[in-house]
Amino acid sequence: MNKTLNQKAWLFVIPVFVLVAFNAAIPLMTVVNYSFQETFGSNVFAWEGTRWFKEILHSERFHASLGRQVIFTFIILLIQLPLGIGIALSMPKKGWGVPVCLILMSMPLLIPWNVVGAMWNIFALPEIGFLGNSLNSIGFDYNFTQQSGDAWFTTILMDVWHWTSLVVLLSYAGLNSIQPAYYQAAEIDGASRWDIFRYIELPKMKKVLTLAILLRFMDSFMIYTEPFVLTGGGPGNATNFLSLDLVKMALGQFDLGPAAAMSLIYFLIVLLICWIFYTIMMKDEGRT
Amino acid sequence: MFTKLHAATWGEVGKAKEKGLFDFDLFSWMAWTWQTATFFIFIALCIIVMLIWEKKAPGGSPRKGILGLDTTRGDRLFVSLLGSAFIHLAWLGLVGSLLWIASIICVAYFIVVFKYV
Repeated sequence: MNKTLNQKAWLFVIPVFVLVAFNAAIPLMTVVNYSFQETFGSNVFAWEGTRWFKEILHSERFHASLGRQVIFTFIILLIQLPLGIGIALSMPKKGWGVPVCLILMSMPLLIPWNVVGAMWNIFALPEIGFLGNSLNSIGFDYNFTQQSGDAWFTTILMDVWHWTSLVVLLSYAGLNSIQPAYYQAAEIDGASRWDIFRYIELPKMKKVLTLAILLRFMDSFMIYTEPFVLTGGGPGNATNFLSLDLVKMALGQFDLGPAAAMSLIYFLIVLLICWIFYTIMMKDEGRT
Repeated sequence: MFTKLHAATWGEVGKAKEKGLFDFDLFSWMAWTWQTATFFIFIALCIIVMLIWEKKAPGGSPRKGILGLDTTRGDRLFVSLLGSAFIHLAWLGLVGSLLWIASIICVAYFIVVFKYV
């Protein structure tokens, strides 16, 4: 069959091309350009070669903030995934409880990041905040502005509060798509609750859970606004995560060259892990 | 008034700037060098070659490579480019000088990926 070749559709893609060029391609190219140069502002640049990359790769500061970031993301995934699946499993399947639970669950997701940070900042203040004051009055020595352990605890608690709902909603959607016939068959076979979870629900949720891990990984690995408002990276450098450190270097110290090199390394790490997740997700799809 | 503060070098601070024909702000702000421009031209050439290749042999030649992954030509290009970036970074971090050796390793890596992955 002879198809007429019609290339008109390309015209409709042009706005997207322009948009992506201005918000992604051009800034990224500029970052690459900056990462090989030194500048003191006023658009004056001096070539530095691979110096900034070497400095960043050997920098204690970068290793420390990358380490903190990896630990933070790992803890977040370790808490939010089991918790999210657990909540999704205990949510009602029908009746008036469904919309109530869904609305309650989606509420934290609708709050802007900086508001979440400000809320938790006030909530956790040791003297006047409800959380801080309560913890102190029952005998804990809690002060997230001075003790790094407390700062970590508060940051993790805040992220769990803000984002576990996403895992819950995804898992709930996955659970709801399982046909009742599977449960009936399991009942006939006399399967225990654990067996049902292990051999029916978990395999059926594999895809949404991979998506949940990917989304939670990316968001927590690139977390900025919430810890910025809550702790500002402190006390000291205790919660100075990668993106906070990057902004401090770029805008606080105006070290645009090293900051550009650091953000490229950061970008490559994120790109690699996303590719791995994407490959795992697509492995059994028969995409090609 | 702020345009007067804009300067190209320290000596010109405070002087009004005269603009040439190609001296538009987008370009000077992006701080191009011939080295980075060459890099992006190389990436663009890669994409153009892929387009021509796809025209000559449509379908992207999907296969299951040695890693057990279903890959097309585009996937293999992506894996090659991402891997090359990490090879260069590893070289910079571990060795530090003679970066062209890393580039040669990357060429070999490209060939291996396009042949077997």
